[in-house]
Amino acid sequence: MSSFTLGHFSQVCSQLLNHYYGEIVGQVGSYLLRRGNRMLNDIPTATGLSIREVKKALAVMIQHNLVKFQASERNNNVAEYTMIHHNVYCLIRYPKYLYMIKRIYGTSEEILLEILLNLGQASASNVIFHSANRLNEANVLSPSALHQSFQRLAQDNFIIRCPKLAENATLLKVPTLEIEEKEKFAVPNVEIEPIARMLKEKATQLGGHCDSEIIWRVNHERFDIELRNVILVNAAARRVDTTAGELYHLILKLWRESSNPDSPVTTPVSYNVIKDAVRKNDSSPILLEHFDHYLRVLYEDSAGLIDRAGDAGGGQFNLDYSKVFENLACASLDSIVLERFGSKALRLFRLTRIQKFMEQDQMQNVAMIPAKEAKMFTYKLLEHNFLQIKELKKGTSNFAPVKSFILYHVELPQVVRTTLEASYKGLFNAMVRQMHDLTENQRLLEKHAMLESMLERLKGDGVPDEEIAELSDTMPPAEKSLVEKIHLMSDNLTLGQTQADETILILESYLKFKSKEL
Amino acid sequence: MGGRGRGRGNAVSFNIEQLGFGRGEAGPVSVTQPPPLFPSLENRPLPLIKDVENEYILVTQKDLSTRMRNSPFYLKPSENTSYEKELPVLWNRMPAELRETLPKRLATGNSKVTLNAKKKKVEDPDKIFAKLEKKERTESEVEEDGDGKEDEDDQDKSDDEKVEMEDDVVEDDDPEMDDETDYANNYFENGEAYLDDEDGQDDGEAQF
Repeated sequence: MSSFTLGHFSQVCSQLLNHYYGEIVGQVGSYLLRRGNRMLNDIPTATGLSIREVKKALAVMIQHNLVKFQASERNNNVAEYTMIHHNVYCLIRYPKYLYMIKRIYGTSEEILLEILLNLGQASASNVIFHSANRLNEANVLSPSALHQSFQRLAQDNFIIRCPKLAENATLLKVPTLEIEEKEKFAVPNVEIEPIARMLKEKATQLGGHCDSEIIWRVNHERFDIELRNVILVNAAARRVDTTAGELYHLILKLWRESSNPDSPVTTPVSYNVIKDAVRKNDSSPILLEHFDHYLRVLYEDSAGLIDRAGDAGGGQFNLDYSKVFENLACASLDSIVLERFGSKALRLFRLTRIQKFMEQDQMQNVAMIPAKEAKMFTYKLLEHNFLQIKELKKGTSNFAPVKSFILYHVELPQVVRTTLEASYKGLFNAMVRQMHDLTENQRLLEKHAMLESMLERLKGDGVPDEEIAELSDTMPPAEKSLVEKIHLMSDNLTLGQTQADETILILESYLKFKSKEL
Repeated sequence: MGGRGRGRGNAVSFNIEQLGFGRGEAGPVSVTQPPPLFPSLENRPLPLIKDVENEYILVTQKDLSTRMRNSPFYLKPSENTSYEKELPVLWNRMPAELRETLPKRLATGNSKVTLNAKKKKVEDPDKIFAKLEKKERTESEVEEDGDGKEDEDDQDKSDDEKVEMEDDVVEDDDPEMDDETDYANNYFENGEAYLDDEDGQDDGEAQF
């Protein structure tokens, strides 16, 4: 299936589906990404797959919250399927989710989340059962401890309940699913004994259980918020220092508890509330001592991490997401320009961005760059769409040649969108290259993996060292170094993808909050 | 680009100096071939950040990839077994059309087994089918028809692609049969009793 008709973002999504769920799901997914709402019948003809495979692919994607369905208007018994673009893209962030959960809570919550990510949608008992199985070598964690961990995750909204089957759903061909606001994070009673019993019997599946109709999934929106908070806290820590980062983290929590998650500006929080929170929380002594200074530094900083919104209660502080993400996006663009074109180009870019509209002459004078170089860099920036041109005609008399002013400016949403597309493309390229390297050398890598595992086993059995060395020599050093190289390259590509994803998050957030404020 | 300064009204709208060339210097080199496939890398990108988080991500990513590749959700082309049992998917939350065997059919004892049964290796539907056959033989005598149709299905592979095949295989030529089952006929009232009952309705209470 040609991926040339997909935009860059959809190409990335299609690549992710291929990687995690296989070619069949990838093909069905690409088709739906390209075509939007489709019914079951349309898919086999377009993709060349058998209807059986298409059904399996759709079932897998629905299970993993990547596809949603709705009864078609024309015929109630048939469903129309649509991809949930954002969730497909979030596949790339799963390792980050796990890292965050591990950092905030601990290993048992991390395992719970991993199991839920693997299953897609599952009941609480199922998740607890499988997690206990996974951790069974330690045998320290009992199902009830895992149940508490599960509750913690639900309380902080990292996992959310899926809509349940409506009353008449079993009679309909296309079930309707609905959920009420208050039920979204309510953990049902989970019977621990059956789970414990199954675990003792070393069962691989949990049989029927009381909460089998209450299904949970990962709450992507909450993780997005958390990822954004991490970026902001890191920004605060870089701007000032780590203690400021700590303070900022606390304030973010206060804002989150009091604000509507959809609003672009948080509700203001007063100075006294912040001070209380700092004292209650186990903060470092430096923070307690210099709390005033840190707060002041943060809100006077031009990055807009904290805005002073009023004077009541010792000072009211809030956060304007669109402003802070505009600053972050600009910082990202600045560093991109710097690394690609050099510091002189960066000076021109920043100048134009801050001054809004500038003429060529003005630019080279204010930036203090020699004329020829200034012109070259201006042209380069223009060519790569970092600068935009606006022409103003200044025709006065009918006889004189019409003079026009050529003004340069930076239209931020447009530049951000171009850079975002370029980031998706870079991400896609890295993924394709990684896939290519791994499949081309698959035999070699598998051979190496088998050899390694065999050596490990033998070492564990206490086989003498000379024999082990002999066995490991069956693979020539040239091959070994090749395998090393492949692993290194694959690691670098993964890191590159992760970093590209961070930039993408910042740019996407800017565009999202910008569109909200209008 | 003629007409430089030659008489009024014939001049061009820009000054050649604005482009950055003096009078005598050559213009830009004209392009004679398509641009290279990869643009040359002028500045080397910054090195990748390698910190605790990224180390963790590397390990987790590999782990996750392996786990997902080995999970039953990773679909590989295979035609054999009944996927409804294999795939650990919550079937009751999905549209009925995605299922392999339509539940209503089995319950009413119709003989439609699997749509794409190329090989008859499917164990479970066979067992269920056998049980149902026995039940049906004690209840009614209609199922001869059904067996014949089932063999047809196995041989006729093109039926796999046709989605309307469900309608093709219907035993009873029931014109009111909607897609796969005819429970619609039996479940909902067919409206003929609507006017009859009017006399016995409540007095003036709103009907919805």
